[in-house]
This record gives sequence, structure tokens and C-alpha cells, in this order.
Amino acid sequence: MRSIWVVATNTIRQALRLKIAAAFIILLLILLPVMSVSATGDGTLKGRLQTFVSYGFSLTSILLCLLTIIVSVYSVTSDIQQRQIYTVITKPIRRYQLLLGKLLGVILLNVSLLIVFSTVIYSITCYMPRFFHATESELSEVNNEFYTARANIAPPKLDVSKEVDEVFTKLKQAGQLPENMSYSKIIAQLTNVRKLEKRAVAPGYMLPFEFSDVKPIDPNKSLFIKFKYDVSVTPPDSQIIGRWVVGDYKYIRYGEQIETPVYDEVHKHSIRTSHEIEVPASVVPPDGRLGVAFLNHPLNDTVVIFPLEDGLEVLYKADTFSGNFIRAVLLIFSRLTFLACLGILASSFLSFPVAILFCLVIFCIATFSSFIIGSFNFIGQNLSSVYSYSIKPIIQLLPQFDKFNPTKFLVPARLITWYLVAKAVGLMVCIKALLLLLIALLVFSFREIAKVVI
Amino acid sequence: MEYAIETFSLTKIFSDWWGRDKVIAVDNLDLQVCYNEVFGLLGPNGSGKTTTLKLLLGLLHPTKGRSVILGGDGSDPKINARIGFMPEESYLYRYLNARETLDFYGRLFGLPSKVRKMRIEALLDMVGLKAIANRPVGTFSKGMARRIGLAQALINDPDLLILDEPTTGLDPIGTRQIKDLILKLAERGKTILLCSHLLADVEDVCDRIAILYGGKIQAEGKVKDLLLQTDKKQITTGTVSNETLKRIKQLIQDEHADFELTCPMEKLEAYFIKTVTTAQEQAQPTSGAVSTTQIGDFLVSTTSKENILDKLVSSSVSQENPPQAPTNEQVVHTEGSEPEPDKELLSKLTKTAEPAQPKPVIQNEKVKTEPVEPETAEQEQIKKNVLDQLTDPPRRIEQDEHKQQVEEDKSQTGEASDA
Repeated sequence: MRSIWVVATNTIRQALRLKIAAAFIILLLILLPVMSVSATGDGTLKGRLQTFVSYGFSLTSILLCLLTIIVSVYSVTSDIQQRQIYTVITKPIRRYQLLLGKLLGVILLNVSLLIVFSTVIYSITCYMPRFFHATESELSEVNNEFYTARANIAPPKLDVSKEVDEVFTKLKQAGQLPENMSYSKIIAQLTNVRKLEKRAVAPGYMLPFEFSDVKPIDPNKSLFIKFKYDVSVTPPDSQIIGRWVVGDYKYIRYGEQIETPVYDEVHKHSIRTSHEIEVPASVVPPDGRLGVAFLNHPLNDTVVIFPLEDGLEVLYKADTFSGNFIRAVLLIFSRLTFLACLGILASSFLSFPVAILFCLVIFCIATFSSFIIGSFNFIGQNLSSVYSYSIKPIIQLLPQFDKFNPTKFLVPARLITWYLVAKAVGLMVCIKALLLLLIALLVFSFREIAKVVI
Repeated sequence: MEYAIETFSLTKIFSDWWGRDKVIAVDNLDLQVCYNEVFGLLGPNGSGKTTTLKLLLGLLHPTKGRSVILGGDGSDPKINARIGFMPEESYLYRYLNARETLDFYGRLFGLPSKVRKMRIEALLDMVGLKAIANRPVGTFSKGMARRIGLAQALINDPDLLILDEPTTGLDPIGTRQIKDLILKLAERGKTILLCSHLLADVEDVCDRIAILYGGKIQAEGKVKDLLLQTDKKQITTGTVSNETLKRIKQLIQDEHADFELTCPMEKLEAYFIKTVTTAQEQAQPTSGAVSTTQIGDFLVSTTSKENILDKLVSSSVSQENPPQAPTNEQVVHTEGSEPEPDKELLSKLTKTAEPAQPKPVIQNEKVKTEPVEPETAEQEQIKKNVLDQLTDPPRRIEQDEHKQQVEEDKSQTGEASDA
């Protein structure tokens, strides 16, 4: 442990004194405040805050990722290339201790830099409303929709496979199956139709939804129903009148006697855009089973459909902005730790430029992994199967940075759950990074340190 | 008998990318280095010296055979803790300064901070870098970096010191100092393995040598056994009258032996060190290394290891030991009774070796005679006087005649200490 610590402190010293880190630090310290002024977004305070957090976080994350790759690769390869390792490895230190020391140094450097920069971003974000002299209404808007961490709950997914199977067999017996479509495509289409049917409501009828595990932290605050209307026939003014009833599910569904209050109001909203209605959080029953019912007003005279993706969800404040922010930083940290291990692995058997290139390629693939995987679906049928059995599994082995992208959550003030953080840490650090590290230690323990010189 | 280093048909073959054998760097090497021995590995460039050291230290894996070092494996931390290694060039972290560099290595050995501090100061003093200990080593010249390289090899007070080309890049004072250090450490019971192609250095310090060529040992044995010419004798005298000389010549010619008469010349090394020492005494400014010829106390002290540590932490460095005799004392060592043409033999054996450091030949009056008598207390006294006079240039010039006398005395004392 002692030797690991000695190497770690030396690595940090190297990164700081060789001005690798200094360049990145200065760049960030200049760019972050500049961005806080220049990022205007859509002109509102919320827009400003969202743009700043989004850009600031992305920039910090990318620069720190690059720094991690460079420092971890450089500190190992330069030791080998400039042969300082001759005098280090012949001291009482095991080779794995040397690598672990380097890794620890890089991680410690990352932790301290992350703390510095996230503090900068956090304080700028908190100071912005005062700096721009925000009005009351603007303040309440950002307090409800930005300085918060809202959990979003979608209605439970419906299992329609049985019904789909029945329809399929019926169609098959009737010989009405479309000829130039594969089985999977027909099934996908039928499933989609079935699901939409479940979320459609005719005029004069009511459609109840059940949401479980709704746990707002403060019953005096509000929760929000976010929805989007789709219609079969567009009304003349493109508006839909709807009566919304929100309360205990037992009351909504079965009309049981309940103690919690019930929200019941009529609203008029335009179609095909997202809207939110504010509901007092006190309507949520203690068991967290919230019922939301929509009554399609007979005046509408059209079927209303809630789209599958973002048709309806319940949002409520589940944690503070600070808590969410810390978890966002943790997501970045797990990414950095993975990259540090990757850098160590690459430099355990590659020379400096090759190792850097190797790491950057992996970094880029991991950043755009869902885009790359998604794009395979658009390649022709035969080629696609070739890819999906060769490259796709490899990409899926890499971590998916975009899946755990913190800005995706911070900008719409979505809650980053501890479950998500644990998943990111577990997948990226505990499994993938550890695996890389073990390979690196093995390779490094058995390779020849000295160069072939005669 | 136990050996400090032993190799069993150690072989290293470098192969190319396809696994085809390219170069046989070390070929079935069976090497034995005893404890408490200064062993020199000689050989021309590319003869496998450094590769052998790297194999011993586990920096390279042997293709065949194995090596035992201090009774264990060269990559075992427990063994490493007792080894000091100085590679052929000082590979240092550019961004650390001299003191931090030594501190880094000291911490790798897990030395307690007090001991570490004492040793670092003592070593910096010894290698003459104390004044510039806070400069990044990236700005050091090659020789200065070498000195740090030496200091880092000594920081753990090693039982076995492995030196790869210890004197390359060093000025004559540094060279002399390393040689003195090696002798002192050997006196203290340390084992030293050095490899070099500077034959003069090897000749001065090594007990035993092996000459490598093509990865194989071509010759091995005690330096004295290899070089001693039993068919020649040499005698050194003080000032004698021409009459006496004539008589001696007559005596020798009666036995039909060769007779040659010359005055001994000072070695360039000695002259150089004398000049620099004088300048140092006049405190002329330098941005380079300032050699005190002192050797780190903890290295030369003959007490047990525990005691040294105690002493180091309890008392200041300068108080602990009286300063070692200045270099000049070592300088007065001359080849004395050592037969002269040895170097020819050495260079014959190592054909492609780089030219040895110029080493002025001391041509003493050579006469067949009995071996020189061992050093006495009186001679010790003479040595002191010699030192005084050598370090006092004005007096030396005035008393030129006296100097002649001194030179001759010197060669006598030199003989004694060489023996």
C-alpha cells in the first residue's frame, strides 16, 4: 500500500508539473464563466440555465475525459520510454503496485478536478438568477422546473402479446396476412396498434391510468401531470377540452371512500404539444398508488389518443437540485474511472501515440454507442445481420456513456435515481473497468520492461 | 559456497516479430560473484554486459537458464530492498528536483522520514549537489544526473550494488569518488557488481573480473592473477646520487637484466583533481556539481545497521564522522610496484573496447629488487605532509625541488595503500 501511495503522489506531481493538467484547468476556468454569460438559450432565465448547465457539464466532462486518457497513458508509457522504470521497478515494489499507484494517482487527480469544476458550475448556476435580476414569475418557473429533481413515472407498460397472438392467428386463418412482410414486422405493427387502442378514448368516455410508487418529498408542493393529446379528427380550433381527475387509485377505479383530497378540474389544451397541469401533492395516497383519469368531453367529438412514448407521465419533486447535481457528478466520475483503467490497459502494452489513439477510438464509440447500434437497424437486411453478430456485441461490451449522460437529466430537471448511479458504477467501474484493469495487471506483470537493446 | 550472484547457463536470445531468433545477447552464461567482492564485468560494446544485468534484475526474462541473486529472485521486493542499482544512464523524473528525487526513492524503500532526511542530506553532500538540490533534475547536465543516479542507488544502504558503466559522463573527480566509494563499500563487506569498458576504472577497484564477448565469458579471474608479470621487477627510490645509480646499474647489468631509468610523472587525474580542489578552496562560483570528496557516513560506518540508523537520526551528519581524507590522499596512489604493460594485455583481450582513459605512465626507476615493505606509521605521517604541500600551490612552485622529493615519497605510500 505504501508503494502504491508513493507512486500515486508522484503521478499527480507529474501531471501538475508537466503542465498537462494545467492547460486543461486554465481552459475550463476561463470557459465556464464566459459561457455563463454567453449562453442565452431561448432568452428566458430557464433557457439560460439549461444551456449553461448543458454546455458546462458536457465541456467539463469531455475535457476531463481527454485529460484522464492523456495522463494515464502518458504516466505509464513515458516511464517505460524514458526508462525511469528501470530504477523504480528494481526497488522493493511489485509491478502491479506500480500500475495501481498510477491508477490511484489519476483517480485522485480526477476527484479533485471534478470537485473544483462542479463547484464552479454549481455556484454559477445558483448565482445566475440574481445576476440577471430575475422576476417573480421567472423565479417560480425555474424553481419548479429547473432547481429541482423531478421523478417521472409513466403508466405501467401493458402486456398485449396474448391479444396480438390471437389476432395474428385469426388473420392467418383468414389468409389476410400481408405477403411482403416478415413475421416480426407484422407482430410489431399489431402490437403497436393494440397498445394505441388501450390509450385511446372516445368522446364521453373516461380513461383511468394507474401510477405506483409516487413518493413526493413534500406533500405541500405540487406534482405535475405531463401529457400530449393526439386526435383522430382535428377539432376546428385544435383544442381539446378534458376533465382531469387525480387522486387515490381506489377512488378513481372503484369509487371507494378515501381520506385524501381529489383533484377534479376541466382544462382546455392545444393538441400535439406537451402540457403540464399542476396538482397539489396532497392528493397522493400514503401507499403511493395514484390514479389519473381523463374524461374526453363530448364536445370534442373526436377520439383522443395519448402517444406511447411521451403521451402521459406524472412528475413530482423527488429530491433537491443539489442532490441531483451530486449524482450527475458521480456519473461523470464513473466514466472517468473507466477511462483511467482503459488508459492503463492501453499503455501496458502499447506505446504512447498508439495507446492514445486506441483510447480515443474507444471513447468516441462509447460516447455515440446508441447512435451506432441504432444505425445498424437501417442497414440492408443481409448486411445488418452480419453487423449485429460481429460489431454490435463488441460495442455492447463497451460502456454506453450516452446512456448515463447527466445533462440529459439535469436540463429537464429529471431525477437521477440512485439506482441509475449504482447501475452506471456497477457496469462501468465494477465490471468493465475492473476487467480492463485485471488484464492490464496481467500483461504488465509478465511483459519485459527493458527494451530490446544490443 | 554461497554466492551473492549466481547464474546457471543464463541465455537471452532476442527474436524478431515472427519469433525467429535474431541476436544471441547472452549465451549460456555461468557467472559467480562471491559475497564481499568487487566483480567487474568487462567487454566491448554489445557484448551482453547490460543485458546480463537486466536479466539479473528481472527487467528482461531469460530465454533459458536462471539466476539467483542474494539467494532469491531479482524481481522479489525483499531482495530488491537489499540491492542498489545504477543503470547505464540516469533515467530521472525531469520535473522533480534532486532532493525530491531521492525522497521518492527513499519512500519506495519505506524508510522512516527522519532516516530518509538524514540520508538524503548526506548523499547530496557526498555527490556534491547540495547547493543545487532544489533545481529540477531535468536541467542537470549528464554528469550531474549521474551523481543523482548514484545517490539513489545508495539510499537504502544496499548489500549488493549493481553499477552499469558507473563512471561514464562523470568528471575525473566524480570518477575518482566512485572508485573510492566502491573500495570503501567493499571494505564494509558489501558486494559490488559493475560493468564497464573503461579499463582503468575496473583495474583500480575490482577484485575479480570476467571479460564478455558475444555473450560468453572469454576470461575470468582475479585481476592480480591475470595481470601480474612475475618476470619483471620495479623499484622506486628517493633522491639518490648518480654514483649510487651507476652502482645499481652495474649490479643489474651483472645479472644481464634490462635497466631503465626515468623520473615518475604525476597522473593527469591527480593533477586535475589538485587544480579543481584549489579552485574550490578559493570559493570560485560554479553552477555545476561541487564535489566534496566525503562519502555518506551511513555508507562507510562499520557499525551494525541498526546502530547506523540510530546515529543518523540522533546526531547531525557532520558531527558523526570526521571528514574522510580528501581525494588527494587517494590521488597519491600510483601504480607503484604494479607491473606496467598490463593495460596492453587488457586491451588485447577486449579488442573493440573504447580507449581507456588516458593514464600517464609512471616510469619509476626499475630495478630488480625485493617487494616493497608494508606501510608504517611513519609513512602515514609523510602522507599527511604530502597532502599539505599538494594543496598549497604557491609553496609548491617555490619549493620545486622539495616537490620532487614529495613525489617520490608519494609513490611509496601509494604502493602500500594499493597493496
